[in-house]
Amino acid sequence: MKQENNKAYKFGMVIDLDKCTGCGSCMVSCMSENNVPFKEDESKKKDSITWMRVYKLTNGKSFPDTEVVYMPRPCQHCGGKGDHGHSPCVSVCPAVATDYGYDTGIVSQIYTRCFGCRYCMGACPYHARYFNWWDPKWPEGMENYLSPNVSPRMRGVVEKCSFCYHRYQAARDQAYAQGNKDEIDEENYQTACTTACPSGAIVFGDLNNPAHAVHEIVKPDPHPDPRNKHVVGKSRNPKVFRLLERLGTNPKVYYLSEREWVRKAGDNYLDGEWDKIKNHHGATLSND
Amino acid sequence: MKVDRRSFLGLGLGAAAGIAVSPIGMKLTDDSSIWTQNWPWTPVPVDGEVTYENSVCSLCPGSCGISVRKINNRPVKIEGLAGYPINDGGACLHGIAGLQYLYDPSRVKTPLKKNGDKFEEISWDDAIAIVAAKLADIRKSGSAEKLACIADKEQGSVSGLFKRLLKTFGSPNFYTMPGLESYLELTAETLHGEGQTIAFDLENASFVLSFGAGIIEGWGSPVNCFKANASRKERKAKLYQIEPRLSNTAANADKWIPVKPGTEADLALGICAVILENKLFDSPATSSFKGGLNKFGALLQKEYTPSKTAEITGVNASDIEKIATLFANAKMPLAVFGKGRGDGAQSLKELAAVHILNCLVGNINKKGGAFVQPKLKYLEFADESMDSIAENGFAKTKAAPYVNQLIEKVNESSQPVVEALFVYNANPCHSLHDAKKVKQALGKIPFVVSFSSFLDETAMEADIILPSHTFIERLEDVPSCAGLAKSVVGLTKPVVEPLFDTKNPGDAVILIAKALEGNIAQSFEWETYEECLEEVAAGIWDSLSEDGFAIISEEVPSESVPVNISLLANNPATVQAQGDFELTLIPIDNMRLISAGISVSPFAIKTVSDKVLKGKDIVVDINPLTASGLKDGGVAMLTTPIGTARVIVNFNEGIMPGIIGMVEGLGHTFDNKYVSNKGININALIGPVIESGSGLDAAFGIKAKISKA
Amino acid sequence: MSEIENKAENGSTEIAGEGTAGEAKDDKGLGLGVIFFIIAFVACFLSGTLLFPKLLYSKKEQPFNFDHALHVGEAGDCETCHSLREDGSFTGIPKLATCLDCHTEEPLGETEDEAVFTEEYVAKEKEVPWLVYSRQPDCVFFSHVAHTQAGGMDCVSCHGHIGESTSSRPYEENRITGYSRDIWGQNIFGIKKNSWDRMKMDDCAKCHKKETGHQGYCFQCHK
Repeated sequence: MKQENNKAYKFGMVIDLDKCTGCGSCMVSCMSENNVPFKEDESKKKDSITWMRVYKLTNGKSFPDTEVVYMPRPCQHCGGKGDHGHSPCVSVCPAVATDYGYDTGIVSQIYTRCFGCRYCMGACPYHARYFNWWDPKWPEGMENYLSPNVSPRMRGVVEKCSFCYHRYQAARDQAYAQGNKDEIDEENYQTACTTACPSGAIVFGDLNNPAHAVHEIVKPDPHPDPRNKHVVGKSRNPKVFRLLERLGTNPKVYYLSEREWVRKAGDNYLDGEWDKIKNHHGATLSND
Repeated sequence: MKVDRRSFLGLGLGAAAGIAVSPIGMKLTDDSSIWTQNWPWTPVPVDGEVTYENSVCSLCPGSCGISVRKINNRPVKIEGLAGYPINDGGACLHGIAGLQYLYDPSRVKTPLKKNGDKFEEISWDDAIAIVAAKLADIRKSGSAEKLACIADKEQGSVSGLFKRLLKTFGSPNFYTMPGLESYLELTAETLHGEGQTIAFDLENASFVLSFGAGIIEGWGSPVNCFKANASRKERKAKLYQIEPRLSNTAANADKWIPVKPGTEADLALGICAVILENKLFDSPATSSFKGGLNKFGALLQKEYTPSKTAEITGVNASDIEKIATLFANAKMPLAVFGKGRGDGAQSLKELAAVHILNCLVGNINKKGGAFVQPKLKYLEFADESMDSIAENGFAKTKAAPYVNQLIEKVNESSQPVVEALFVYNANPCHSLHDAKKVKQALGKIPFVVSFSSFLDETAMEADIILPSHTFIERLEDVPSCAGLAKSVVGLTKPVVEPLFDTKNPGDAVILIAKALEGNIAQSFEWETYEECLEEVAAGIWDSLSEDGFAIISEEVPSESVPVNISLLANNPATVQAQGDFELTLIPIDNMRLISAGISVSPFAIKTVSDKVLKGKDIVVDINPLTASGLKDGGVAMLTTPIGTARVIVNFNEGIMPGIIGMVEGLGHTFDNKYVSNKGININALIGPVIESGSGLDAAFGIKAKISKA
Repeated sequence: MSEIENKAENGSTEIAGEGTAGEAKDDKGLGLGVIFFIIAFVACFLSGTLLFPKLLYSKKEQPFNFDHALHVGEAGDCETCHSLREDGSFTGIPKLATCLDCHTEEPLGETEDEAVFTEEYVAKEKEVPWLVYSRQPDCVFFSHVAHTQAGGMDCVSCHGHIGESTSSRPYEENRITGYSRDIWGQNIFGIKKNSWDRMKMDDCAKCHKKETGHQGYCFQCHK
């Protein structure tokens, strides 16, 4: 009954910022899928737990040349330098409460294991991790809508987006039940934010599988970036970028925009720096 | 042998060694470390079989199909229903958060009766008896027409039952809250004749000129609009958004055209003028115009030249000409009206001026254009049984044409205009302009019956509350309206057993009718609402009950429709904002908040930006150019002719100078700490301004001043 | 300062002197000490091994006795009642509806237990509140289908020969953790003779390491 190791997936996401309307469906779908609690005042955003958060970006120009774009930010599921699985958060966790799943590329968070030191929050460049400063409380009866697929958390632990890992497990179970051991269908494993998005701005799938839409859009480069060997999986689509890509965190969440200022907003550039790197992978973009 | 202390030392050491070698230490270490990971006070959700039930969301006029995931027969998640003709899989945040309404802390759990300032619980039998007795008294006293009803919409069988109750009782006073559907009908009636309504084929239009319509802010059928907007790029279609601030729709559009608030009608007419002047119109279409095309042309030539329009609207004359040319030359142009979500105040002049653009370029009843078609009709009620009181009362004219004026009349009249009021699926005390006056009017009405599921602002003013099931617990037909190109009727089905002692509002109306006896009871011979629905929707019942929806029409209407432009040819006056202050306060519709009917859910309010709501304070947008003396993020006092409020200032480059933008849908005051007492209700700061002629409340905003607090 | 030092030095010398003298004089005290040591050692060891588990675990009886052997004989194998759903999820302990596939309101046999079942549960349409010996805590995700279908394991590997039992043993709950005793196993030392003797994380990891070459990532089994 020895099994071979299942093939490795590399689940990732590409979010079309030109399609995103900032409506918030992804945020609510995520909260209700993952038993995320709420409290009386959620306007202090630093302690408001939103695994998926939609940020508003502006081009900084004054009226009437102002432009606005919304950027949904789940956990980026970093592969770490060289994409070897040493994600910033995983590297610092003293409790092994978060690890990198080499079989899926998903960064876990085990609430029972976490003792709340919050090193991972400090290490995460994307503010994707949240600390439970309080116990979750639901109004009387409302705990009846909680899902058994995700454990409710308590105060004192860190939580974050899991790419709806329980949906992966459900898809895998279904595949097993149908006698299919190695392959789960693209449509059988989709995150809650992806399915909820009314604009179809989020595309999710296996970045290793050329048949998946996410691979088709991102066209990840399997080779390390020649100018920065820590960066792996850079998109060969000139309209696609990752957040703070230069850090070599190698996120599995990609963003897509036609607008140059939006792509530029994905990192902090020194004067003149952007012009040198904006045309990587050969394509030149016109700025209109 | 002497027992000395060394013996005891031996005893102690022996005990220590014995315990050390026994499993106690190991086991307790393991158990206590597990114990630290045990949180018995956090709920452990019960696992079980996963099932899905399909239904239709009726939180807004969007009428999206939903799939409710249940585990162990317990609903845990609402998602969009794939394959549903309106939303095909997507869902908005309010629908997804729908289960929170089921367990909302402000649910009314049993019928309530007002006793002094407090409500006391009563049984359904008693509640129905009280309502019936009160109504019977009114009828006996000869003022049957003084029973009024405010509902959210005209369509649907529950509204049908309310209308039927009023008619057989002897009252014509059925009112609906302002909504996009009512504006569509009014515009169609004004330009095309009685019994018509308008729909917009956004999915196929190649150039959408939106006059402030928040296409991705909850306008129309939201998810359908999101989808149409998202497909724009692939279709190479364009969206030009005309409005005073960079809304999300404007930000997502191909071009944002800032316009002075309240001058959208003038801009539309200015564009009409360019189209007429440059002969860009569709001459076969315009040849059939009635009501004085020449007069209209002459008016435009005189009053709405590009330069004059530019002066009124703040849009460059050259831009006006450019937009007009682009619009008229587009393959499938479409002009869309209904500022914001389209359910706020609107002026008929603006609605007509925008829609006349569609008529001019001849895209009526064409793919990608505006559909003018008969109002949705799928319900067949049998004739009512009318006695003489019913005949006489029903024949009287309505107390007022629209709900706003009804409120005004109730407040102003010394005689009671309304003796008894039913409120169903509406929260006028929060969503109508000058909310304080609305509350005052409800206080003046001797007997108010609310059918709300929640103890909201209006229900608090009621004398009797007959609580309704939430949309997750009840059966109801849900007609799509709100400008959707296809007409679909969906069926909302009970997904869970009712949590509390509530009823389907249809059943409550039937019970009241039966208790009133006579011709009224005879007109309500159904045992249950379910039986009634099956009968009145018999024509589509098979597909409703089997598929969960029935498509009434999805084709482009083929009829050519008459166009009457007399309203515009007579140059109606543009409504001005009330007051003399320098700035103008305008409402902002935000997709993450709800402005009409039901209040927002805890999840939805959690997503609201801290640039909209901060703690208990509402944040207003203001252009830094206008904000002299104010600090970004600072507290300020905002004053309008009807109220003052404490606000936080947010400098925003995406709003025209001279304008203050404030979000709609906050400032609830009922008992739900997650959504209430947050920010202020903008409707407490804006008063109604009635447009002469149409009688609509057309207050697009109000003059205001803002100063450092 | 120096006075104190002196006192201390004197003191220690005195004690040391007495001790040496005592040892040389009489070793009976030590002998008694050894006896005491042994007595205490044995008493504590035995109570730690025998009494401690009794204190640590509370015993609860199942609602009524369930005869697995009888049911396996009548109905077939484990999967008849403990089945997988189409989506691959596991039904666990059957619901009343599954029991009623065979049972009716009239008892099929003559046992007292079945009488309890029909009177208390079938007649009242109430689910039987079975206590699950192998219940894992909420943070654990366990996929039966992955082990039985994909891994080809049999039920016995983890559940032992419960299918051959004729009566339900009491459910023992750890007073500190609230877990079933079966997680740690019956042997209080945690000694494991059979693969089904213990179901702690390390046991899962060990088997995974052996069978798949890797002990697995956190999310594989945790939620």
